[in-house]
Amino acid sequence: MSSKVRVITPFTYLGWLVYPLIIAILGLLILSQGSASKSAYAILGGGLIGFWGLAYQEGGNEIQNERWSGTLEQIMACPTPLAVIVVGKIASSLTFGLLSFIPTVLAAYLVWHMSLRNVDPIPFLVSFVVLTFSFFAVAISLAPLYAMWRWSNALINGFEIGMFALCGFMFPVAQLPHWLQAVSSVLAPAWATRSLYAASGQPYGHDYWLWCGLAIAISCVYLLISWALFRLVDKRARITGQLAFV
Amino acid sequence: MNPSAAIDAIQLRKTYATTRGFIKRERVEQVALRGVDLSIGRGELFGLLGPNGAGKTTIVKIFTTLLLPSSGTARIQGLDVVKDQWTVRKRIGFVFGGERGLYMRLSGLDNLRYFADLYQIPPELSRRRIHGLLDQLGLKGRENDKVEGYSRGMKQRLHLARGLLNDPEVLFLDEPTIGIDPVGARELRVLVRGLATSGTTVFLTTHYMLEADEICDRIAVIRKGEIVAEGTPRSIKTRVEDRGIVEFECEGLEPDRIDSLRRLEAVATVIVEERDLSQVVTIHCSRPSELAASLGTLLQGRQVRKVSVREPTLEDAYVLLVSS
Repeated sequence: MSSKVRVITPFTYLGWLVYPLIIAILGLLILSQGSASKSAYAILGGGLIGFWGLAYQEGGNEIQNERWSGTLEQIMACPTPLAVIVVGKIASSLTFGLLSFIPTVLAAYLVWHMSLRNVDPIPFLVSFVVLTFSFFAVAISLAPLYAMWRWSNALINGFEIGMFALCGFMFPVAQLPHWLQAVSSVLAPAWATRSLYAASGQPYGHDYWLWCGLAIAISCVYLLISWALFRLVDKRARITGQLAFV
Repeated sequence: MNPSAAIDAIQLRKTYATTRGFIKRERVEQVALRGVDLSIGRGELFGLLGPNGAGKTTIVKIFTTLLLPSSGTARIQGLDVVKDQWTVRKRIGFVFGGERGLYMRLSGLDNLRYFADLYQIPPELSRRRIHGLLDQLGLKGRENDKVEGYSRGMKQRLHLARGLLNDPEVLFLDEPTIGIDPVGARELRVLVRGLATSGTTVFLTTHYMLEADEICDRIAVIRKGEIVAEGTPRSIKTRVEDRGIVEFECEGLEPDRIDSLRRLEAVATVIVEERDLSQVVTIHCSRPSELAASLGTLLQGRQVRKVSVREPTLEDAYVLLVSS
């Protein structure tokens, strides 16, 4: 049903088609003049931003949408735990998020004649799967905050954009100041993105398995935090009774 | 605790904590329930009446596991709503109604399919049940239309269909006929009565006395978080049997004249309703005929019209209970 709503809702097309395309075009305009080593960022960057945006924003916003439509109480009081419902919603977001790569890769190939020539296929595929898993872990660990606090929407929306830089979607994390690199090191998607670009032929090392392992380990920590948060949400929501408040 | 009861509450209390102020925040506690005791038998149709803010929705939300009580116990068919919430949720249905609470961009059918999944109903059973409910609730033929195009009454019926998807043993209805036209409301009441007759325990909150009087086996009146009366509609009405109601219209009745009416020995309550330029005054008293006859003297200088004396109704009993 979440997927059906996305197909019906015009706003979703902004997330997976329009915004990634705009960012990809900007990236391609800037980076296509540079060295070939930056081409992967130009080709994949827009798609990654769109993928991330839908997975995180839409997954978390689903809770807020439920609140606005007055259905949050209905789903909280049903026999299926909220966490399971959110997993379904985030899975739907991730599926749609994958579509972000289609317009961006096509634009790069058809207009700028750029493609990923030096891809190491197995590490690339594994890195992509790990990246998806890390996005899922972040989204599901933040989703309970939307259920708990009505104002979380404003706070967490800002976090989405910071992630573009901290995870190295459009440029390597190594170009960030040291203190920001330290912040980046606790973000699972940052390690998965590093592995993905390394598998795309970027000259920044090839420790795919180490980086994937770190991404998986940190994601598992997020999942543990998420489990604790969902339990807290259930109890707190039932104490304050604010689920129906918009 | 009554082990055979469908719904049971013992000394149920709920306090909401909130904050007041901007810079210097002050914690404020609002007491919604002050020790509510209720016991409702299986297959009973029970009505809970009370003014806005009395605690009706709070009680319903505790029973439907949406709220934790601050203290006290609430059970559904012997299951604690706090410790056994997952089992309770499978056995109950609830309808809060209103314009919200449905997925507007989806069809009625898709809404029901989605909730059937959430209630873990097997697909084949879900399909049969959904189509049966659509038929029973008069939504057949419109099930593939988006909910945003439904009328108020249709949305309310879809809410009810959603509440009945899991064939609940206990059904909670929070003001189910609010905002619905009289014909639609009557149909809904017949349906609800039918559910109770077939063995479903129904807990209903309402503002409409006619509704409570017509369909409920027993009712309770709640005021400021406390149950002030409980019994059959007939037994509630006996509280005002020794009283009568005097009603009249007047213009420009001063507050001190109204107070002087209130101070009369035989008078229990005086309610003044402003309607356009005139006031409709309703007096609950023990000797209505005498009072009616003396109104001209009591309200000298004021034109008194449409004086009537009538027997008390359930509404009058309710008004007496919530305003005393």
